Amino acid sequence: MSLELVFRVLVFPGFTFISLLTLICDWVERKIEARMQNRMGPTYTGKAGILQPFADFTKLLAKEDIVPRDSKKIFFKFAPIIAFSIFTFAIFFMPIDGANVLTNSSFEGDLVFVLSLVLIANFFLFLSGWASTNPYSVIGATRVLTQFLGYDIPLFILALAPAFLANSLSFSTIASAQNIPFAILIPWAFILFIATLQAELEKDPFDIPHAETEIVGGYETEYSGRRLAFLKLAKDTQIVLGAAIAVELYLGGPYGPVLFGLPEPSYALWFIVKVLFVVLITEYLTCVFARLRIDQVVVGNWKVLLPLSIVSLMLTIAVVVFSQLMGQGMM
Amino acid sequence: MSEKEQEILQKLREELGDRIIQVQTTRNEKLLIQVKIGAHKDAIRKLLNEDRNAGVSAITGVDLGDVISIMYHIRVHGDVITIKVEVPKENAKTTTICDIIPGADFHEREVSDLFGVTFEGHPNPKRLILPDDWPQNIFPLRKDVETANLIRTLDSRKSLYNEKNVAEGENVKIVFGPQHPALIEPEMFSLEVDGEIVKRVEPRIGYVHRGIEKATEQRTYLQNIYLVERICGICNACHAACFCQTVEEIMGLNIPARAKYLRTIILELNRIHSHMLLLGHAGTEIGYETFFHYMWRDREPIMDVVEMLTGNRVLASFITIGGVRRDIDEKMIPKIKEKLAILKNKLPFYKNLFENDPTIKMRTKNVGILSRKDALKLCVVGPVARGSGVKMDVRKDEPYAAYGEIPFNMVTYDDGDSWARLMVRLDEISEGLDIIEYALENLPSGPYRVRAPRVVPAGEAIDRVEAPRGELFYYIKSNNTAYPERVKVRTPTFSNIRSFVNIAEGSNIADIPASLVSLDPCFSCTDR
Amino acid sequence: MLKEVLSHIFREPATRKYPEVRPEIPEGFRGRQVFDVSLCISCGLCARDCPAKAIEMVDVEGKKRPLFHLDRCIFCYQCAESCPRNAIKSSKIFELASTDKSELVVEPKSGRGN
Repeated sequence: MSLELVFRVLVFPGFTFISLLTLICDWVERKIEARMQNRMGPTYTGKAGILQPFADFTKLLAKEDIVPRDSKKIFFKFAPIIAFSIFTFAIFFMPIDGANVLTNSSFEGDLVFVLSLVLIANFFLFLSGWASTNPYSVIGATRVLTQFLGYDIPLFILALAPAFLANSLSFSTIASAQNIPFAILIPWAFILFIATLQAELEKDPFDIPHAETEIVGGYETEYSGRRLAFLKLAKDTQIVLGAAIAVELYLGGPYGPVLFGLPEPSYALWFIVKVLFVVLITEYLTCVFARLRIDQVVVGNWKVLLPLSIVSLMLTIAVVVFSQLMGQGMM
Repeated sequence: MSEKEQEILQKLREELGDRIIQVQTTRNEKLLIQVKIGAHKDAIRKLLNEDRNAGVSAITGVDLGDVISIMYHIRVHGDVITIKVEVPKENAKTTTICDIIPGADFHEREVSDLFGVTFEGHPNPKRLILPDDWPQNIFPLRKDVETANLIRTLDSRKSLYNEKNVAEGENVKIVFGPQHPALIEPEMFSLEVDGEIVKRVEPRIGYVHRGIEKATEQRTYLQNIYLVERICGICNACHAACFCQTVEEIMGLNIPARAKYLRTIILELNRIHSHMLLLGHAGTEIGYETFFHYMWRDREPIMDVVEMLTGNRVLASFITIGGVRRDIDEKMIPKIKEKLAILKNKLPFYKNLFENDPTIKMRTKNVGILSRKDALKLCVVGPVARGSGVKMDVRKDEPYAAYGEIPFNMVTYDDGDSWARLMVRLDEISEGLDIIEYALENLPSGPYRVRAPRVVPAGEAIDRVEAPRGELFYYIKSNNTAYPERVKVRTPTFSNIRSFVNIAEGSNIADIPASLVSLDPCFSCTDR
Repeated sequence: MLKEVLSHIFREPATRKYPEVRPEIPEGFRGRQVFDVSLCISCGLCARDCPAKAIEMVDVEGKKRPLFHLDRCIFCYQCAESCPRNAIKSSKIFELASTDKSELVVEPKSGRGN
C-alpha cells in the first residue's frame, strides 16, 4: 500500500476530510436554519460558533454511556457505529477531487452499490431503535423502515435519469459527463430528487421518525454518551452523503471552472460549495413546511411521488432518444 | 333579579313545588335556589330544557360544619343560576347529574375527591385530583382537615402510585405523559391503541395540584390576589381580575371608570400573548418550527408593553381590590400604540398562512372534530366552544370591566376542528388589538383606584371572566374577617379537558398532540 | 412563507446576545427592592402584607427592621405599596441568580440603603 493511498484514505479526501465536512455541514445547517427563523444559531464557540458541532460531539463522547437492561445488547451497542461507518464508506465512492478516495475504485455500477449501502446503513439505524425495546424507539424505528423502504424506490428511479443521460451507472462518469449540469437539463427530475432526498434524510416535512412531540426521540430515545454521538454523526454523514449524491448526479459533481493552480483543490472546493448548496436547499424546505403524518407520507409516496418519478424517468428517456435522433439528423 | 330569571324561577316553583327550600340571591344578584336532596336533578333538567345552550359551569362544595353544601352553577342564557343541596357530612351522598349532562363528569369527581361526597350512579367514580394512594378518609377541603396535620400524614405514607401499563384485551396501551415532550406540564392520558388508531382515552390530572383553594383560606384577601395570580402564569391578570371583582361585589365597592379601562387593557394584553403562545406551540406540535419562532418573536412587543405597563413581563400584579395598582403614563401611550402596530402589521401574514399553507391544513383541517352538539353536551368553554359554533363569551354575555362600552366582535367558527379552534384565536388577537386601541383612545380621566377595607363583610358572590382559554369562574364566601371562608376557582381548562376524550377517540396517534394543543390546555390552571 | 423565510437569511436576528448585549429595562421595572433604613418607622406593614412571607422583622440597634428573603420574594411589590413612608423603592436589578440561598438574604443595615 503506497503512502499516497494511506493519505487519501485517512486525510484527504478520505476520513478526516469527510468528518470535517460533516461537522461544517452541520454548522451551516444550524446557522442557516437559525437565520431563516430569525435566530442567532451557534454563536459563542469559535468564530460565529463554527466549532459548536465539534464541541457537541466531544461533549457527548465524555458523557456516561447507558445500555438499558432489556435492550438487545449487541445490536444496541454496534448499530450506531456500523451505520456511521457505512455512510462514510459510501462517500468514499464519490469523486470528490476528480477521483474517488480509493483512486481506482470507481467501477461501472457503483451508483447501485452506493444506493444499496445507504439502504443497509438505514437498516442499521432501524436496528438501533428496535434493539432499544423502548416503545418510542420501536415506533420510531418502524417509521424509519416504512418511510425509507417507500422512498427508496422513487429515489432509485430518479437516480436512474442522469444515468440514462450519461449512459453510465458510475458516479465519476455521470459527474464528468455533465458539461451542463443535469439539474438544468432535466429540472423536473432534480426537483423530485430533492423532494425524495428530503424524505430520505428525515427532514421536515418528512421528519416523522423522530417527531419529538409524538414519539420523543424516535430510535435515538434510549441512546446516550458516545453511542448517541455516533448516531448523531451517522445522521449528519447521511446528510452529507445525500447532498453528495445529488451533487454528483445533478450538479456536475466536483467539476467547475478551474480557478487557480492545480485542478484538484479547486475540484474539492467546488464539491464543498455544491454540497453546501444542496444542504441549503434542504434546510430551506425544512423551514417552510410543517411535519406530515405517517399515513399522509406513505400515501404521498405511493400515489404522488412514485408515479411522478416514473413519468419523469420516461420523459428523460424521451429527451435522450430525441437528442440522439437530433444528433443523427445533424450528422 | 332580571325578568327572565323571575320567569325561570316561576317555572321552577311550578315544577318542584315544596321541594324548594329557599330562594336567595348572592351579593351580585345571582339566583341561588336551595332544594331538597334528590330534587336538584329535576331542577337542573328543567334549566337545561330552558336554554339549548345551557351547561354546567361549575360545581362547588362548601363545608358548613355539619353539612356540606353542593352548589351546581348552571349557565342559562349566559347567566349563572345556582341550585344548591345540602348533604349531611356523615353520610355525604347525592345522585349524579352526569346522565343528563355528561359535562358534569369532572366537576363531580373533583367535589368527590376534595369533600368526600359520593355521587351515586357516576359512570366513572375514580379519583381525579388526589393521588391513588391518598389516605381513604381525608378530604382536604373540609374544614376539619388541618394543613399541618395533613402534611405530617402524607409524609409518613410509604406506597407510591403505580399505573399498570397493561391494557385488557388486544389493544396496546400507550401512556402519554406525565412526562412527554408534547406536554409542557405533567398530565397523563393513557391511550389504548389499535395500530395507529386510538380506541380509548383515560385522562388523569392532578399531578401538580397545589391546594391553592385551601391556601386562600389561610391568607388575607390582599395576599390572595398574588396567590390566585399564580394559579396560572399565562392568564394571571384574569385570575386577579376575577378574584378582585368577586371581592368587590361582596363589599359593594364600585371601582373608578379609569380602573375599568386599565383592567380591560391588561386583560386583553393577557389574551393576545396567551393566544400567540398557543399558536406558536401548535406550530411545534405539527413540526413547524419556523412558524413557532416567528410567532414568539412577534409576541415580544406584547410582552414589552406588559412590562412597560406593570413592571414585569409576565406576572402583571396590576389589578388589585378597588382598581389597579399603577396608572398609565401619558407618555407611554404612543409607545404602546407603536408596539401594537408592529403586531397588527404581521397578522395578515399569519392569517394568510393558516388559510393557504398546505401542510398546516393537512395537519389541522378535519382533525380532532368536536361537533356543536358534543361541545354543548360536554360544557366546553371559550375558544373551544366558539370553534364549534357555540356563541359564548362572558365579555358579551355579562360584560365586566369596560367590555360593555367597547365595541368588538365575537369570533366563531362552525367547523369544530383543530383548525377552527386555532383560527378563533388568531382572529381574537386582532379583535384584542382593536379593543386596546379603543381603550387607550377613550381612557377616562380620574382616579385609578379606591381604598378598600381589609375586612370583607359576610356574604357570597359568583363572578366570571373570559380568560384566554374560556370562562373563568370564581365563587367566594366571606365571613366578616380578613380571611375568606371559601374560594372556589374553576379554570377554563378544567371544563375543556373532558372533551379531549371525545376528540381523541377514533383519531390517529400522530394527531393526538396537535388536537390536544388546539384545546389550549393549561394544566397548572387545572391543578389549582 | 416562502419569501418571508428567504428574506430572513440576510436580516439581523431578532434575538439578543444576552450576557454581552444588555436588554433595555423600562421605567418602573419591579426588580430587587431597595430599602432605605433612614425612612423606616418600624411599623411592620410590609411583613404583614407580604404574600410570600419573605419579610421578617429583625432587631437592628433596638429597632424592628425588615429583613428580605429574596429567595422567597415573588416581586409583587406589595411591601413597597404598603409602606407608609416609601422606604422600599424599585430598582432595575434583575440578575439575582445565586448558588447559595444565604446570599439572597438582604439584611437591613443601619444608615445605608442597600
